[in-house]
Amino acid sequence: MARGMGGEAAALLCLLMMSASWRAAALSLIVTDVECVYEYVYYKDDTVSGNFVVVDHDASWRSSNPGVDFTLKRGSIIDPELMQVTTPENSIVYSLKGSTGDKFDFKVSSGMHKFCFHNPSNSPEAVAFNIHVGHIPKQQDLAKDEHFEPVNAKIAELRESLTSVTLEQKYLKARGYHHRHTNESTRKRVIGYTVGEYVLLVALSGLQVVYIRKLFSKPVAYGRV
Amino acid sequence: MNIPIQRKGFSLLLISVFSLWSRADSIRFDLESGHTKCISEDIKSNSMTVGKYQIVNPNDGHPLPDSHKITVRVTSAYGNSQHYSDDVTEGHFAFQAVEAGDYMACFFAADHKPSTTITVDFDWKSGVAAKDWTSVAKKGSVELMEIELKKMLDTVQTIHDEMYYLREREEEMQLLNKATNNKMFWFSFLSILVCLSVTGIQLWHLKSFFEKKKLI
Repeated sequence: MARGMGGEAAALLCLLMMSASWRAAALSLIVTDVECVYEYVYYKDDTVSGNFVVVDHDASWRSSNPGVDFTLKRGSIIDPELMQVTTPENSIVYSLKGSTGDKFDFKVSSGMHKFCFHNPSNSPEAVAFNIHVGHIPKQQDLAKDEHFEPVNAKIAELRESLTSVTLEQKYLKARGYHHRHTNESTRKRVIGYTVGEYVLLVALSGLQVVYIRKLFSKPVAYGRV
Repeated sequence: MNIPIQRKGFSLLLISVFSLWSRADSIRFDLESGHTKCISEDIKSNSMTVGKYQIVNPNDGHPLPDSHKITVRVTSAYGNSQHYSDDVTEGHFAFQAVEAGDYMACFFAADHKPSTTITVDFDWKSGVAAKDWTSVAKKGSVELMEIELKKMLDTVQTIHDEMYYLREREEEMQLLNKATNNKMFWFSFLSILVCLSVTGIQLWHLKSFFEKKKLI
């Protein structure tokens, strides 16, 4: 990928352009108790943006679904030169309890990050989530490269915006699934309960008639009624 | 979970980052022995999808213990198996998604007496991200910026298509809601009818019963 310009500078540019953020993960997990996903953040001050939606939930009489608890923990940072742990393991960066879906967006420092979902209810739930670690090369990073053009940073920003639009779309799609699931379940339950109501009504009136007939039938006791 | 990053030389750092990026741009999760974990992804029809998985070595420098082996199966939305490998430490798959829908990649770790936890590194890309841009770049002296912009054009096209799809789904849901609303309307009329007719039949039956018994 080296062009006519100085080989190393070109390589630098190439690598930065190619390496910056097309990193995104879009998956759906079935969470029974606790499910964790790890993602490594290379640069300090990268933005982690993402969203999650509980898709397949047990719609029931309870008006609100308990949802899942979401935590973002930072793994320990190991300084490669000192080979020592500088930050303790599992420090919580962000925590959200009992939500059926949310978006999040924050700057994190580099290191291994752990995205965890905890399901408080007994039934397993499917969670669709998308994560994107975005990095925009800043002027200071490439200060040593005299061929740095501001347009590259602008292109990176544009790419970040496009990725955020894509993430938002995926979020809307997952929410659409959630709503559709709720609607279909509501429809089935309502029709079921209405037909059950009719059957119950007819059965009860039949029982009433049978009881009244029994009250007035002679062989039971002549003078009782 | 040490990922070696060399600090000497800025360019060396970037080169290592680049090589790491092409290999370690991924999600990792823990798999207990004897358990199955499934990850599903919604893939559109006729889009390329590429997946790569490997077991992360907890001790750098020592070989992986023999017990750390996983079985992977990738199934399509309708249950057709697209990829299956048994007892491996790493592998990859790539296929053209014929059916649109939820594709599932399931990982199973064989049961082991002291229950071990295997960390699996998994990278699954589909659609725009799965396209091999490095080969496109090598085809000629293509400007780097042009590649980036081409990528973005592809992304914008995907966003445009997704918007159509979302609009269709929303319309379907609206129709479903309207149909449910209609049904509920007719059902409530029907319930009044059922109630009145049941009462009428009861009264008529009891009246004829009492007249027969000569009580009225």
